[in-house]
This record gives sequence, C-alpha cells and structure tokens, in this order.
Amino acid sequence: MLPALLLIGVLLYFTARAFAFSFTDLALVGRKSVEWSWVGLQNFERLFTRRGFSESLWTTVIFVFFSAIVGQSVLGFLLAALLQGTQSTIKTVVEVCIMLGWLLPDIVAAFLWSATTSQTGLVNSLIVVPLGFPPINFINDYALPVVTIANIWKGTARSYLLFSAALDSVSREVVEAAKVDGATPFQRIWLVMLPIIRPHIATNMLFITIWTFTYFPLIFAMTGGGPGTQTQTLAVFLYNQSFSRGNLGFGSAISVAMLVIVGLLSLVYLRMLQEPK
Amino acid sequence: MLYAIRHKSMMQLGFATLHFLCLPWTAPGEGLAPQAAQCRGASTRGGVDAQKNLLTTVAAIALAATSVMPAHAEVTIMYAEWLSSPVEPGIKNFEAATGETVNAIKLPGRGYDQRIALDLSAGTAADVIQMDSFMVSELASAGYLHPLNEQGAGWDQFQYYQPGLLEVASYEGKVYGLPTDTDVRMLWYDKSNFEKAGIAVPWEPKSWADVLDAAQKLKDAGVQYFFQLPAGTKQAEAATMQGFYMLLLGADAPEGDRNRLLNRETGQWIGDSPAIRRTLEFYKTVYGELGMPADLNYAADPGVAVREALANDQLGIHASGSWEDACLWDCNGVNLPTREERDALVGWTPWPGSGEPGAKATTNISGGWTIGVNAKAANPDSAFQLVTTIFDVENFKAWTLANHRMAVRTDISESPEYMEDAYLAKATALAADTTGRDTVPGYQTVSALVQQMTAQILDGAEVEDVVQEYHDAPVDEFGEDKVITYE
Repeated sequence: MLPALLLIGVLLYFTARAFAFSFTDLALVGRKSVEWSWVGLQNFERLFTRRGFSESLWTTVIFVFFSAIVGQSVLGFLLAALLQGTQSTIKTVVEVCIMLGWLLPDIVAAFLWSATTSQTGLVNSLIVVPLGFPPINFINDYALPVVTIANIWKGTARSYLLFSAALDSVSREVVEAAKVDGATPFQRIWLVMLPIIRPHIATNMLFITIWTFTYFPLIFAMTGGGPGTQTQTLAVFLYNQSFSRGNLGFGSAISVAMLVIVGLLSLVYLRMLQEPK
Repeated sequence: MLYAIRHKSMMQLGFATLHFLCLPWTAPGEGLAPQAAQCRGASTRGGVDAQKNLLTTVAAIALAATSVMPAHAEVTIMYAEWLSSPVEPGIKNFEAATGETVNAIKLPGRGYDQRIALDLSAGTAADVIQMDSFMVSELASAGYLHPLNEQGAGWDQFQYYQPGLLEVASYEGKVYGLPTDTDVRMLWYDKSNFEKAGIAVPWEPKSWADVLDAAQKLKDAGVQYFFQLPAGTKQAEAATMQGFYMLLLGADAPEGDRNRLLNRETGQWIGDSPAIRRTLEFYKTVYGELGMPADLNYAADPGVAVREALANDQLGIHASGSWEDACLWDCNGVNLPTREERDALVGWTPWPGSGEPGAKATTNISGGWTIGVNAKAANPDSAFQLVTTIFDVENFKAWTLANHRMAVRTDISESPEYMEDAYLAKATALAADTTGRDTVPGYQTVSALVQQMTAQILDGAEVEDVVQEYHDAPVDEFGEDKVITYE
C-alpha cells in the first residue's frame, strides 16, 4: 500500500507543480526565475487570445489522426489480419522490417527521413527523377505529410504486435462456426473478430493517442516545427515557449491544457473498453 | 558524462521502484494476471521475500543516489562540441597540473543554450560552463553565476582582455564570463554559382536592392538555395543575429536606436518601428516573392545542411559570420582545405544597408562566447583555475589562429602571427564599425520572439499581423511601460 501511495504521491506532486506554475509568470532565466509572482488566469487567457496554441492544437489533431489513428492503427490491423495464421517467410520479413522502424532511435530515424525526403534524397533519385519529373523538395513542400508518414513508419509495429496477439486469441472454433454459417471473409472480420477484439482496439487507440499527442523527438529533430510553423505540434510549441522564449508559466499552462485534452480523449476510449450491455 | 550517470541512475531508480512495487512491465490487458499472481505470491510467502525485496530496493536507491551526487574532488565542465579543440587540451593540462579529475560534458551545439539555462535553473549544471555571451546577464541576474573579478585580478593574463568585450559578459559591473572569441557578420557566396549567374566577382552590393537582384539572378541560374537567410525558431540565435539584426541595423537611421530592438537609453523594447517592418518585408521578399526554400533552416542539423548544399553547388548567398572561414568545412579546424582552395570556392562581402536615407552603408553586429563559473560550484577556485588553464595563451592562441577566430585579448591580437593573417586583418576591419546585442535581461525572450516573427513570415503571414503580435508579446512579458513604438 505504501509504495503505491508513494508512486501516486510523486505523480500528483509533479502534476500539481505544473498546475501551480501555470498560474505564475515563472521564467527559465532572469529575475523572474527566482522572483516570480502569481498572475491568475492570465496564461490560460493567452492560450486563446495569442497566436500559437489553437494553430498548434489543429496541427496536433491532424498529426494524431492521420499518423496514429488512421496510419498506425489501420495499417497495423491490416498487416496483422493479412498475416494472421501464416508462417511464411513473408511474415518474418514484414515483422523484422516494421520492428526495425520501431527499434531505431528517434534521432537516427529523423536524420534518415530528412535525407530520404530531401531534394537530392532517395525518393527523388530512385523514383521521381527516373520517371522524368523534376525533383521535389518533399521535406520543404510537404512537411506535415512527411512527418506523418515517418511516424506511421516508426509506430506501426506496436499496433501490429498488439492486433496480432489479439487476433491470435480469437477462438478458431468461433471463426469456423461463422464460416459454416456462410459468413464471407469480410463478415468474419467485421461481425465476428472485430467485436471480440474491441477492448484491444480501444487499448491500442488509448495508448497511441496519448503517445502521439505528446510526441516530440522525431518531429522536432526532423523539422523543429517548421518550415515556419507547419509542423509545430503542441509538444513543439510547448518546448519553444518554455525553453526558447523562457516562459515556464505559459509553458505550464500549455501542458495543463494538453493534460485536459488527453484526459478527455482517454475518457472516450475508456468508455469504449466497457463491455456492451 | 554527468548526464549519462544521472540518466543511468534514474533508470536504476525507475527499475528499482518497479521492482519494489511489483508492477507489471506490460500494458494493461497484456498478461497482467501472471505478474499479479507473482505479486500475491510474494506477499503471501510472508516476510522473508518481501524484506529481501525491500532491502534490494533500498540498496539500489542508495546506490543510485550516491552516483548522482557529485564527487567533491572533481571539477565538472559543460561545453559545446565545436569548442573541443581548445577545451580538451586545457582539461588535460589542468589535470596534469593539479592531480584533480575533470568530469567533462561535451554537448551538441543544437539546443545548447536551452540545455545550459535549464541545468543552471535546476541546479544541475557543471562547475564551469561555456555560454553564449547574450545569456550572461540574464543568468547572472538570476544569481546562477559566480563573479570573476576577484579571481581574475590574481591571474596575470586577465589584463589582456579587451574591456569592451568583458563588458558584454558583465552584469551590474561584475564580470561573469571570459570571452572565447568575438565575430563579425557578412554575406558569404559561392563563386562558381555567381559566375554561372553572371554576377561579377568580387561581389560588392551597395544596398538591399543589389542583394535581392543577385538572389534573383542566382535563382534564374538554377541555384536551389540562392539566398540562405537564417529564419525561424530552429535556427534560434542565428536567425536573430545573422539574419534579422543585420538587416534591422541597416533598415533605418541609427539616431534614437531606431534601427535596434532596444532603446538603450530608456531601456525600452521597440515593439514596432519602420525598421522592423522593412526587415520583415525583406524576409517576405526572399522567402515569399523569390521563393527561397526554407528547409535548410529546419534541417535535422542546419549547419550540416548548409555544408551539404555548398558541397553540392546548390548554395548562392549565405548570411553568416566570420567563423565560416573554418565552419563551412569543420568548426574544429580538422582537414580544412588550403587558404587558396577556400578562396577559390567562396568569397564574402559586408552586409549593405537598405539604402534608406540616413541608414548605415554597411552593418555589423558582434557576438561571441564565454566561459564562466557556476555560482553553485563546489570549489570556485578550482573551477576558475580550469578556466584560466583553458584560456592560457599557450593553449588558446593556437586555436584562435588556426580557426581564424577574432581575438578578444591584446596579447593574441597584437601578436605578429595574428596581424600578418590576411583573412583576420580583413575581417577585423569590419569590427571597426560593429555593435553588440542588447545584452540586458529580457534579450533572450525578445530574441525568441524575433525568431517567431521570421517563422510566421515563412508561413506566409502578413507583415502587419506579425508586427502586431510581436508588439503585444513584450508587453505581456515586461509591461506596457517597457515597450515603445516608433512611427
């Protein structure tokens, strides 16, 4: 009991500190880093009255939706469904490949993707130029799609493994019975397997949404939030405001807002986890 | 290394805690039951195992805690990778002379300023710290740095430092850092691409219009990165200094500091001025109308990206500084091409003013780095001794000369080797009419806001909107009375 209380205490302590700082003008350096004062709701007002937060929130929503929910989850499920039950070499090769993306450190992955998508990079040299088109500066012209694809590549392995394990747990008899009853392959997946693995889907969604919503290293190393603010997600915005501008009070307000948003999303997923009555 | 130790200790602590709590190292829903059963087993087996667990955990926590505590016999130092060549021999000399061990923490240049600020404010910074000079007053005002005047008076080489440069690293009359070097800023250009674009070399632009004209010609000649003008938040201080401030200084007459970010007489930040608007219009022309790609500013490593562009013959004009004489190849001066080879590849010219009435004909602003001592240093005397060993003329002069750094001390700048160097003589001539940053507390914030403005221009925002937002931000930070507007 005591250890659990300790852990909860530590977690609450840090959250409470961030919450308290969000009502101050605490700075990273300078006098306000030691002689800070309470400013009430000013930081929260500025989330809505100053440019940056809402734009970054929108970028984050797009990034999370396309890279985590659509990309990683759907791709992970499709791969798991297609390779389910097979023991072929293809399965091993696919598993090794998607695991490599997951295992590679974020910074290394960022350099690889930057190099691959630059004007003189692999995509241009191998595909675009040989087809007779002028080279495209992907990382400059399509920054958000590029980081989204990079994140799909990086994180699909997790969803694949989870769905793979979930599909394995579906009883073979149930699927066979559906087959005997004349269910098509699509019906077997949609009406039989998906409802059975619904809690796994919700768990996966919960994890990858929280993870991607606050994800920082890959996107920061690849683009630093740019060009301009095209890829400035909330995590990058938080970093810039807290550590470049040095406004820890405002940075804390951003983190509290992120906490609330992720908390609300988690509630939605947790409802999905509940068994239908 | 300290970081590694700290990191390792946190990991140990983390695992120890998990072990202690008997938490499953898996996600919910994924085989929770076996671990839970093990946990229950541990508790039902009674006291022996639980005690063993507890003892192991306590021992692990104790071990972790001792490994994060700095050993008092050690002096620690944090420095950027690009300054390795003078710092590392200095460390060796210090260890040989004192028998003390130096715990050296070498950090990458990207994000270095943020790391230093964060470590100092969290109380986890090293005893000796390399800092960009603009940060010194801000860090000193928070009480993070140790004043060096007293110890400096006892060091025979302290007298050679130029007072103006010590002033930059001072706060309320006390010196908090010894400068490593200073610099000047200019427009570098690739000679072969200039020839391809039909622009006469040596290039001598007289106004912004001449610069934009050259940029247009380079673009027409197919030079991809025809004008690399640092912009955006990832470029950090480079966007402010190499780009924005160099333009700003030439955008209006200097009277009343109309061409600056701060009115130095009244101590008020300039929230809106014709100079700020003209500077942003220039950015808009380069990145908007002319269509300069912005990606070098946001590359995984912008410095590497610029070097690659130069090597691939894709670079036209590059707004940067005197350090590029080495840094365009290697900042630590390893395997540099010969003087003749470098001169054949690239040239440089002073930044011209805008051509507005009363504006300066050419502009310049100087920065530089410093090394100082943490106010929380376990032994400030040992720490200062490490600083002076690094800065010892025998060690530091060689680096200054080899890397063509602009000297900050008269014993080096007046030495025959320095005076005979053609590059340094030409670059030093620019320093005759230079200025410094507004190194008062608050500069770091304003500089970050400037970087944000340039980022918004890259997004295609209108100058009017960008300026309005910029004006409001320092009002938020410092109050209405601390911000003025020039019509």
